[in-house]
Amino acid sequence: MIPLFFNQNGVSWLFLLIILWPSISVSQEAVQGNRFAKVSTGYTLVFPRDYGAHPDFRIEWWYVTGWLETDDKKTLGFQVTFFRSSTGHHPENPSQFAPKQLIIAHAALSDPSVGRLIYGEKSARTGFDLAYAKEGDTNVKLDDWYFVRDADGHYQTKINAEKFGMQLSLIPTQKMILQGEHGFSRKGPNVEQASYYYSEPHLKVAGTIKHQGKTLAVNGHAWLDHEWSSELLDSRADGWDWVSMNLFDGSSLMAFQIRGKDGAKLWAYAKFRNAAGEVRFFDPEQIEFIPERVWQSPHTNAVYPVEMRIRTGEIEWRLIPFFDDQELDSRRTTGAVYWEGAVRIFKEHQPAGQGYLELTGYESALDL
Amino acid sequence: MKMVRLFCWLLQGEWRARFVQIIVAVIAIAMGVALGFSIHLINTAALNEFSAANKSLSGQSDVQVYGKQGFFDETVYPKLAQYEGVKLVNPVLEFTATVSAEFENRDDHKLKILGIDVLRAADISPDLLGVPGEGRSMDSFADDAIFLSPAAMEWLGLEQGDMLYFNVGLETIALRVAGGLTRAHAGQRIAVMDIGAAQWRFQYLGLLSRIELKLESNIHHEAFKVKLGNELGEQFYVSEIADQEVRIANMSRAYRVNLNMLALVALFTGSFLVFSTQALSVIRRRRQFTLLRVLGYTRRQLLLQILTEGFVLGTIGALFGLAIGYGCAVLAINLLSGDWGSYIFPGIQPSIFFSLQNAALFFMIGLGVTVLGATLPAREVVSANQASALKSGGEDSTMNRVQRSRSAWVCLFSGVLLTQLPPVYELPVLGYMAIALLLIGGIALMPGLAKLVFSFLQKYVSRYSKNVIILMTVARQANAPNQASIALSGVLASFSLIVAMAIMVLSFRVSVDQWLDHVLPADLYVRVADSGVQGGFQKEEQNAINSLPGFSRTDFFRVQQLTLNPDRPEITLIARPIDAVEPGNTLPLTDDARGLDQLPKGAIPLWVSEAMVDLYGYAVGEKVMIPMGNMWYEFQVAGVWRDYGRQFGAVQMQLSDYQTLTSDFSINSVALWLDTETTMTEALVALQQLPFSNVLEITQSQHMRESSLAIFDRSFAITYVLEVVAVIIGLLGVAASFSAQMLARVKEFSMLRHIGVTQSQIKRMLAAEGCFLTAFGVVLGFVLGLGISLILIFIVNPQSFHWTMQLYMPWNWLLLISGVMLVSASLTAWLSGRNVVSDGVIRAVREDW
Amino acid sequence: MLELHHLHKSYAAGHQVLSDISYCLKSGEYVAIMGDSGVGKSTLLNLIAGLDVPDSGEVLIDGTVISALNDEEATLLRRKELGFIFQEFHVLSHLTLNQNVALPLLLNDLPVDRAEVLLAEVGLQGRENDFPRQLSGGELQRVAIARALVHRPKLVLADEPTGNLDPDTANEILQLIRREIKKNGASGILVTHSRVAASTADYVLTLTKHGLQPAEIITDP
Repeated sequence: MIPLFFNQNGVSWLFLLIILWPSISVSQEAVQGNRFAKVSTGYTLVFPRDYGAHPDFRIEWWYVTGWLETDDKKTLGFQVTFFRSSTGHHPENPSQFAPKQLIIAHAALSDPSVGRLIYGEKSARTGFDLAYAKEGDTNVKLDDWYFVRDADGHYQTKINAEKFGMQLSLIPTQKMILQGEHGFSRKGPNVEQASYYYSEPHLKVAGTIKHQGKTLAVNGHAWLDHEWSSELLDSRADGWDWVSMNLFDGSSLMAFQIRGKDGAKLWAYAKFRNAAGEVRFFDPEQIEFIPERVWQSPHTNAVYPVEMRIRTGEIEWRLIPFFDDQELDSRRTTGAVYWEGAVRIFKEHQPAGQGYLELTGYESALDL
Repeated sequence: MKMVRLFCWLLQGEWRARFVQIIVAVIAIAMGVALGFSIHLINTAALNEFSAANKSLSGQSDVQVYGKQGFFDETVYPKLAQYEGVKLVNPVLEFTATVSAEFENRDDHKLKILGIDVLRAADISPDLLGVPGEGRSMDSFADDAIFLSPAAMEWLGLEQGDMLYFNVGLETIALRVAGGLTRAHAGQRIAVMDIGAAQWRFQYLGLLSRIELKLESNIHHEAFKVKLGNELGEQFYVSEIADQEVRIANMSRAYRVNLNMLALVALFTGSFLVFSTQALSVIRRRRQFTLLRVLGYTRRQLLLQILTEGFVLGTIGALFGLAIGYGCAVLAINLLSGDWGSYIFPGIQPSIFFSLQNAALFFMIGLGVTVLGATLPAREVVSANQASALKSGGEDSTMNRVQRSRSAWVCLFSGVLLTQLPPVYELPVLGYMAIALLLIGGIALMPGLAKLVFSFLQKYVSRYSKNVIILMTVARQANAPNQASIALSGVLASFSLIVAMAIMVLSFRVSVDQWLDHVLPADLYVRVADSGVQGGFQKEEQNAINSLPGFSRTDFFRVQQLTLNPDRPEITLIARPIDAVEPGNTLPLTDDARGLDQLPKGAIPLWVSEAMVDLYGYAVGEKVMIPMGNMWYEFQVAGVWRDYGRQFGAVQMQLSDYQTLTSDFSINSVALWLDTETTMTEALVALQQLPFSNVLEITQSQHMRESSLAIFDRSFAITYVLEVVAVIIGLLGVAASFSAQMLARVKEFSMLRHIGVTQSQIKRMLAAEGCFLTAFGVVLGFVLGLGISLILIFIVNPQSFHWTMQLYMPWNWLLLISGVMLVSASLTAWLSGRNVVSDGVIRAVREDW
Repeated sequence: MLELHHLHKSYAAGHQVLSDISYCLKSGEYVAIMGDSGVGKSTLLNLIAGLDVPDSGEVLIDGTVISALNDEEATLLRRKELGFIFQEFHVLSHLTLNQNVALPLLLNDLPVDRAEVLLAEVGLQGRENDFPRQLSGGELQRVAIARALVHRPKLVLADEPTGNLDPDTANEILQLIRREIKKNGASGILVTHSRVAASTADYVLTLTKHGLQPAEIITDP
């Protein structure tokens, strides 16, 4: 779910690239859409092939969020995302520089002692083996940043941002979850708006983090999403709320809702899997995202419902942010502003797990 | 305090008494400073602009990697991207493309295009990022889109969304103007597009022109440069922005230094005027000063008094000069921005930057010259014999100490010696010093010469003429030559400057004209836009041209740029058929050449331009290495040819040798000779019928000559400005010294009126004096100017631009300007006599101080 | 030969300098005019020389009303009929003695040979080609005397000719002026405030605000 678009403020160049960004131009999509492969229901995901990149589709990403603990018991949140985007370039251009694919990476670290999100980003076109997203298995590289799946299923990632660095191994402890119907995940009332989507919950994380001049050994757990599509959002959509939960009892839940321009729910989805592997779907009408507390960003003035109740059927989850200021404001470079934060999960007032909440489309009043 | 009050009284009195003279002095100082300052401002503006424009292209990178042969293989890019210590990397493909079709009527329809990867460039040169239209975000990667700087849009008359056509080799391609480069340097004509698209559409596949690197903060730049340079090898050079600036400054250094020198010569000329005004004022007040000394003024006090006057004058004049200079520079830039040294600084629009430091420098020069002008006569006065100074008739001796024949000869002689010395840092500094010495020597020699000439004249006149006016005039010049020479120093300096410039410019122009004859022997020249590293015409097109009817001869040229030394601008390599028996038939050879039969067997002959001899030390018979393609080849220098087109150097070789060595059979220029039966129109029609005629750039050699000469005239426009200013300064000198003398000679005139000389006779006498003096100054100035022009032609030009020329005399212009000088000087002298003969002045016989 | 009829002259400030001056100088007479400073001696000389114009009254030289001539005509008359000797000599420094003396001859288009004669007369024979800077004050005034008489003027005007000279030299010069005027048959007016100088004239007039009056003859004490 990554539409791209260009920042129009006249200063800058780069893509705005955010999960579920609403305002992609319909006409542009119509022009370019037919060049790309379409997401359809009948497809069966095949592994390891589908771990790898799908260059025929317009957009694709590998999205890791998780919680870490340092040796001295300090808790941190982290996010590592690699996007791949097709540019719709002229297929006959033989140049090595032809912008066949673009690779973009975002990485962030949530440290409550810092009080706000620390993040870095990078982007490049593929070519010269400096940046690529390979087919066949997960293998994405952007200069010295990478995200690779080894033959044994372990993932390795390295991030070397201006302000921090990470080198982590992610080891699956459970089977993957195919989201939607066997990996076909609808994003709206229209069946064309969909993606192929699988998740790997409860990844065991070990590695090091370079932070504030120190290299820290860390352990923790993470959640991986891999999703690819050519057409994502309904034109009526305004933004979305998304959550992933690694629950202490070994179960996991992913839920999202697409909000319309009127703020109302346009589409919703949730899938729960318990430790035993039993899966439960929820219909859009069974899912509710209820804001409990809002936080206004002092940086952008955007107002985010950082504390939420999420109802999936009869179960109610309570989300408490790790800390409030986990807004990612990259307007000066990418133009994107969203909230991507570590949250604690409570169920019936008891701690139930740790997860990540993503809130997009809330940044407003920019013109002021 | 009392002393200060006395100071002020005397200053005020002086101000009241000689208001006009003071104004003239102030104008003289202001002119000198203004001229120097405005030329300096324009120069630095142009250079800064060029440098800033260039810098904005290379962004904020620490180090750049270039290929010595221009473009290089892109495989080095991933290597550099992953090189240790490199933080950011930005590959750039920079080239000029020929804008086609409707824009072809322009003189210069080449557009600089930069192919960039926006994602890589974003952090290094953000100014080069195009701004796409609303909803067209992907245009930055599109293969049909191009972004134009505002200046380029204006130049081409295009807007966002319009189509822009280019000639690439023999094809025409169309690109959509996708947006602007809002942060491009003002006036900079450039275009930016996706690097992949640029490689593909403009046929530069696999090639880059530079890679910019940003290094990790802990990397030592110098060490990094050396290490990387060694690893990349001979074909590349690694430079920092600072190196680039040196290179850019080098490109125009000779031009700028010469202009600055001329400005200094102008300031110097102005200083003679200031000097003469000051000296005359001091002479006039000799008795006043002596009285002050008698009354108890110490030498120091008197000196201080005179210096203070000079200081006040200098300050006012220099301040005015700065203001006028600034105004002139702004005006010149606005009026001439398109043309100003247009082939030195193409495609930019300079704007004046006022630097307090430089303004202060010019202020100090102006002030210094004035104070110096006051000091020399002041020293004479304070050390004068007080008793004799009170007597009349001693004014003329005041100058004796300042101007002596012996020192004049020393100046002239050392000036001549200096012309024999080599350049300093490749600049003709000593040549200019020689010019200054000749001027000083000439002026110092003048009193003696004037005495000699006018005494002779006096004998002749007194024998054959009883005209009292002529007699008195000649007698005055013969017997009071020092005062005459003060009046003349301005005339002499300015006229010799005019003569020198006029001779130099004409010699240069005639030489260029003849050179054009030699280098453009054919009737028609056909060029095609370059396509990547290939010349535009392949074998097939060459055959098509060869088989055209109506042409008696067809020569193919392969022209390209290459870098021999990374610190120097690129040189030009021209491969063409050269008459093997008599190369002088093809090339404008200097005397320095040897026949091909004198070269050892197997040696490949190379003919080098004069600049190559000066800059790279090439000599006839020497073996030299020249890079072509990816290889270096050995050549033997067979001759030296004159080149006014490329001051950074050019070499020529046989086209057949080039093709054997490189296997590059493409060419990019064709010279065509018409049959005797074919008319130009028929020839053009024949060319138009070629299948690829729409991309051909056809030039008649006649037009090429005309436009070359037009460019020449434009570049030398500044010298005409200098000449006009010199005339004005010269006349100001006449006006200043005459009006100063009028007051000094008021008693003389009064007595003459008593004994029956009429007003008009006195006026005529003054006019005659002005005329005689100027005539003398003009003759002397001509001799001096001829000497200076010889230095300019045979020393300064070869040393700074590396070309030689022959001497030609602009007799008509010189006669005209002499006439103008004579008439206007007489008129000036006549006008300055106006007040003197008025009624009040007649009583001056009874006036004392 | 010189007639002054009811001359009046006042300056811009309204200050009356000369009022009702009348006098008649006969040919060959040499007269001295004395008067206090500021009484108008120089103004009177300027009027006589045609260098200034009276407010009313006339100046006649040989019957020509010089005060009615324009500048050009007055200059031509002056050139021919008048000779001047100044307190400060006013010899042109860039001309030789001979050239200096010859100036009036050239102006009147007369043969220049007489310059040498006059120089000899004033005692400077053999020094024709010297320049003024080589001369003493007395010698310079001799040159001036030669210049004043070389073109045989009818009237010589001498304005304090010895003011800058020491008494001995002054006496020599006064005698020389008198001798040369008489010898050349000219009339002369000597303006001075020195009784000694005045006594070398035929007779002495005193200029006061009441006019020109004959002074008592004063013999040397």
